[in-house]
Amino acid sequence: MAEKEWEPKIVAFCCNWCSYGGADTAGMGRFQQPSSLRIIRVMCSGRIDPMHVFNAFLEGADAVLVTGCHLGDCHYVNGNYKAEVRYQFLEEMVKQLGLEPERLQLNWISASEGEKFANFVRDVTAKIKELGPSPLKPEGVN
Amino acid sequence: MVEVGDRLLGYATDPNVRSKGASGGLVTAVLAAALEKGLVEGVVILKRIDEYEAVPVITDDVQEVLSSGGSMHAVPVNLAKYVVGKKVAMPGKPCDVRGVIEQAKRNSVDLSNTYIVGLNCGGSMHPVLTKEMLIKMYEIDPEDVVGEEIEKGKLIFKTKSGEEKSISIDKLEEEGYGRRESCRYCDVKIPVSADLACGNWGVIGELAGNATFCEVMNEKGKLLLDTAIEAGYVEVRPADEKSISIREKVNSAMLKLGDEWKEKVFDEIPDKDRLKYYIDQFADCIDCGACKEVCPVCSCGPDSKCTMFHSLADNYKMSMYHMVRLLHLSDSCIGCGQCADVCPVDIPVTTIFRRFANPAQKNRNYMPGMDLKRPPFLEVMLK
Ligand SMILES: Cc1cc2nc3c(=O)[nH]c(=O)nc-3n(C[C@H](O)[C@H](O)[C@H](O)COP(=O)(O)OP(=O)(O)OC[C@H]3O[C@@H](n4cnc5c(N)ncnc54)[C@H](O)[C@@H]3O)c2cc1C
Ligand code: SF4
Ligand code: SF4
Ligand code: SF4
Ligand code: FES
Repeated sequence: MAEKEWEPKIVAFCCNWCSYGGADTAGMGRFQQPSSLRIIRVMCSGRIDPMHVFNAFLEGADAVLVTGCHLGDCHYVNGNYKAEVRYQFLEEMVKQLGLEPERLQLNWISASEGEKFANFVRDVTAKIKELGPSPLKPEGVN
Repeated sequence: MVEVGDRLLGYATDPNVRSKGASGGLVTAVLAAALEKGLVEGVVILKRIDEYEAVPVITDDVQEVLSSGGSMHAVPVNLAKYVVGKKVAMPGKPCDVRGVIEQAKRNSVDLSNTYIVGLNCGGSMHPVLTKEMLIKMYEIDPEDVVGEEIEKGKLIFKTKSGEEKSISIDKLEEEGYGRRESCRYCDVKIPVSADLACGNWGVIGELAGNATFCEVMNEKGKLLLDTAIEAGYVEVRPADEKSISIREKVNSAMLKLGDEWKEKVFDEIPDKDRLKYYIDQFADCIDCGACKEVCPVCSCGPDSKCTMFHSLADNYKMSMYHMVRLLHLSDSCIGCGQCADVCPVDIPVTTIFRRFANPAQKNRNYMPGMDLKRPPFLEVMLK
């Protein structure tokens, strides 16, 4: 039997009003979506605690995507600005840890940008396939 | 009446307090007067057990305050958390003061109720290592030590039998003794965010050793000092230009030395080795939580986000407890060294935390514990 190609696990945090809609649109538009994706829906990107991101890595994610509405479009006024401030700390921390920076990504995606969402996930997946499994992945998790 | 911005030389009027004090007893007298005159309900003092051990207590007994003078260089405890929720006055090294300011930003200390008499600080020593150093380098039995002093870059110990031995601090630090590592690169030596900033730098001539250089940093500092002067507890006079410039010079020299240490301690670990380094270091962690408990800038209670992940049973590659803390402290860690001091398995916690905090704070041109107007960053700075 041929060895099955390794499929990375990508966790995407999506806000209910924009990027989750973007993911939905991507699905409805039948854009090719890699099976690597695991979506976690939150009401707003402002709800994404950096702790969730680290926990995703420690549980076995090969990459984590932080997504939300475009700046200015957050349905809770400024949740995505808060997410952005936290993201900068996260990004610096990932760098200092020595984890490959590509494993953490931020993107603002509206509900109508299905193609953008699909391309984003595909690009990250391709990059992570090159990098291989995350060094933080626990033993015994694929 | 003194004014904000005044730089003064002063001392306790009571000769016993003056001679027991590290450099004139002004700090002790100011704290005692604040209590005596009702400015505060208690004073944080260090209750001495021996040369290497003291416990912070809050007392409402003026006599007890008056007898608490003297600097304990081998007691690197941090006092910031002792003032939470109380109306007290406290002495404080820059790291104590900065801890209090960070607590105030998180609304756990009410600064209008807290008076801080800051002490300049060139560094403190770990008590256990100090005893080891006495045996190995000084060839003195730690139990025989009756006093210790720093003079001209030398650390001097006096024994029961009247003997004195001195060794240069540089030499001690080469051998891994002397000041704690975090103190060597600590970047605040004069506690300008306290109400008064006191020390012996700049005290010269006949006053050397028996007067304190004191800068009035704000209105509360003015009130503290005015109260002590009116009560007859202290006498002050303006410091002359020479004193002022010596204090500045010593401070700059110390900061420069600190920067050199910083370079040495934080040599870059190559990108590809870093993750392994952190994983290996934290692999020894027994999740005791002591490093969080003592951290003077953390204001979370016993049930907090990081401690939720105290588990030796997870199969995580790296401690989630530490990942949460590394992030939470990257904006606010003041490098006080407490976490490394208490770690039972000798993880260099402070050095690791500073590796994350140094760039985060530098990128934001931010120094925690200095300026009340800048909020903690993770509370989110929105333009
Ligand atoms: C660890 C340490 C290092 C210092 N290094 C310098 C220096 O390099 N240059 C300089 O100009 N001044 C330094 N000082 C300050 C100096 O020693 C005097 O405290 C200061 O000049 C005030 O003198 P005083 O006689 O008025 O204080 P005192 O009247 O003797 O009062 C001293 C106060 O400090 C408190 N105290 C003693 N030990 C500690 C401790 N470990 N942590 C917190 N509080 C403590 C006591 O409880 C007391 O309230 C240092 C102080 C400490 C504690
Ligand atoms: S960390 Fe800084 S302020 Fe605190 S004891 Fe060390 S040198 Fe002094
Ligand atoms: S993390 Fe450690 S060094 Fe930093 S403030 Fe807390 S106890 Fe001090
Ligand atoms: S003090 Fe040391 S052993 Fe205890 S939780 Fe902190 S790092 Fe782990
Ligand atoms: S609702 Fe989408 S980012 Fe706030």
